[in-house]
Amino acid sequence: MASVVLSEAEKVYVVHGVQEDLRVDGRGCEDYRCIEVETDVVSNTSGSARVKLGHTDILVGVKAEMGTPKLENPNEGYLEFFVDCSANATPEFEGRGGEELATEIVNTLYRIFSSESTIDVKSLCINPREHCWVLYVDVLLLECGGNLFDAISIAVKAALFNTRIPKVRVLEDEEGSKEIELSDDPYDCIRLNVDNVPCIITLSKIGCRHVVDATLQEEACSLASLLLSVTSRGTFTCMKKLGNGSLDPESIFEMMETGKRVGKTLHASLQKILDKEESLGTTRQKVGFLG
Amino acid sequence: MALDHRRVPGPEESQAPLLYAAPGEAGTDAPGREAAALRPLLARAGLLSQAEGSAYVELAGGTKVLCAVRGPREAAEGRGRLLCEFRRAPFSVRGARPRPGPATAARERELGLALQEALAPAVRLARYPRARLELTALVLQDGGSALAAALSAAALALADAGVEMFDLVVGCGLCRAPGPGGAWLLQPSEAEERAAAARLTVALMPGLNQVAGLLGSGQGGPPESWAQAVRLGLEGCQRLYPVLRRSLLRAAERRAAEGPRAVGASA
Repeated sequence: MASVVLSEAEKVYVVHGVQEDLRVDGRGCEDYRCIEVETDVVSNTSGSARVKLGHTDILVGVKAEMGTPKLENPNEGYLEFFVDCSANATPEFEGRGGEELATEIVNTLYRIFSSESTIDVKSLCINPREHCWVLYVDVLLLECGGNLFDAISIAVKAALFNTRIPKVRVLEDEEGSKEIELSDDPYDCIRLNVDNVPCIITLSKIGCRHVVDATLQEEACSLASLLLSVTSRGTFTCMKKLGNGSLDPESIFEMMETGKRVGKTLHASLQKILDKEESLGTTRQKVGFLG
Repeated sequence: MALDHRRVPGPEESQAPLLYAAPGEAGTDAPGREAAALRPLLARAGLLSQAEGSAYVELAGGTKVLCAVRGPREAAEGRGRLLCEFRRAPFSVRGARPRPGPATAARERELGLALQEALAPAVRLARYPRARLELTALVLQDGGSALAAALSAAALALADAGVEMFDLVVGCGLCRAPGPGGAWLLQPSEAEERAAAARLTVALMPGLNQVAGLLGSGQGGPPESWAQAVRLGLEGCQRLYPVLRRSLLRAAERRAAEGPRAVGASA
């Protein structure tokens, strides 16, 4: 992963700051950096979103394609995740360098969506055992500035919220052969219910306190962090320790409490922004990448 | 391999027989078992001749994990590194043989990373500059809680190899029974794990009382429920610790009785 090298003195400065609930950029321990979210940024997708969190820049595109349901779940569609670590983010990602990180992120995304309640996959089924929608979620890392997982999960949620899947009907004639008919109206589409899609909250242990939304400098000072995926109702769908350090059992319970609290606020403000952007309709001026 | 379809008049598609199995058929465990019951554990250290350290952990009910440590080997640059690999034998799971492919490889890599991140806090890597330790965990049979068994086996193998460590690492698996308000069960069997709403593996360094690893997902419910699961898991780890320590002691005694190790084995 992209990382910075800090001297001992710089580390002490960061750790002491965290101890006093005042971080290098002036935030408290439970504050996020300013998050920029914009949906519908790429026109070739069914849904897309770009999230900028400090210097972390993520672009997510969702493409809906028709496929066959998986054997074990014949009346459900499914999601596929792909992560591409662009060499623009850091030179370390050049060639196959980013592959390890990409696999880790993909596995984590599958894990947080593994719980059945996160997204209604049954609504993605068109025709049991034969046709369903497959949502290909492509995550592009444009810039890494710490706290990748949180930014990615926010971007994925925003992109799924933005996703419009064309409506299709299955027509069956007397002989039992089936035909799929696409609606003529391009605005006639189904939307996904993203109320239960979780967001990842990564809590980094620095000194004897923990912080949310660590920057690269803070990540360099943290030995271990706890990744929690929190739904808007405050339940967890995934829990994972990251990093090469260990955690005290008591601090884990504290981190879980913080995660729940911060997660609920994050979901509420994200939903508010998404709804607001939606209400602007097609008249919205798009900011894009140079804004 | 190209198939001549005229010669093989089989159906064009096939489906897994498990789809048609009635639910609950596969479950052989007695229902209503005690949540905090641990499966009997067998651990043996130092059984492979070619590896610097090795261990075998078996949980009653058919989870068998073999673990080997090679190294410290010289590495080109940088600090000491611990490389972990988690592999499943092709015949380790119930039902159809898993197809080797990118999806299987990615899942194994995730567990390999989980092993590495859980063992790193216990190993004194700073004492091994410019060296790497290679660890392989091979699941011979997965009867549930395979990652937890692999964690314990890996820590035993590292200790058996004489790698400097702060503490052993003990792994313990948990799963939450399906349905609302389902209880967390310690060390689930394969059938329980398959039916579970949520799964969790915790790793503890019992001597230092530090959590070395946590990996879980599913519908575990509110944080209080997860916290209860972590507590239950840590307690399970504490109870498993004496068994692992004894096996390590026994391995050391056996080695002492055999006399000095052969030249190749002690580096």
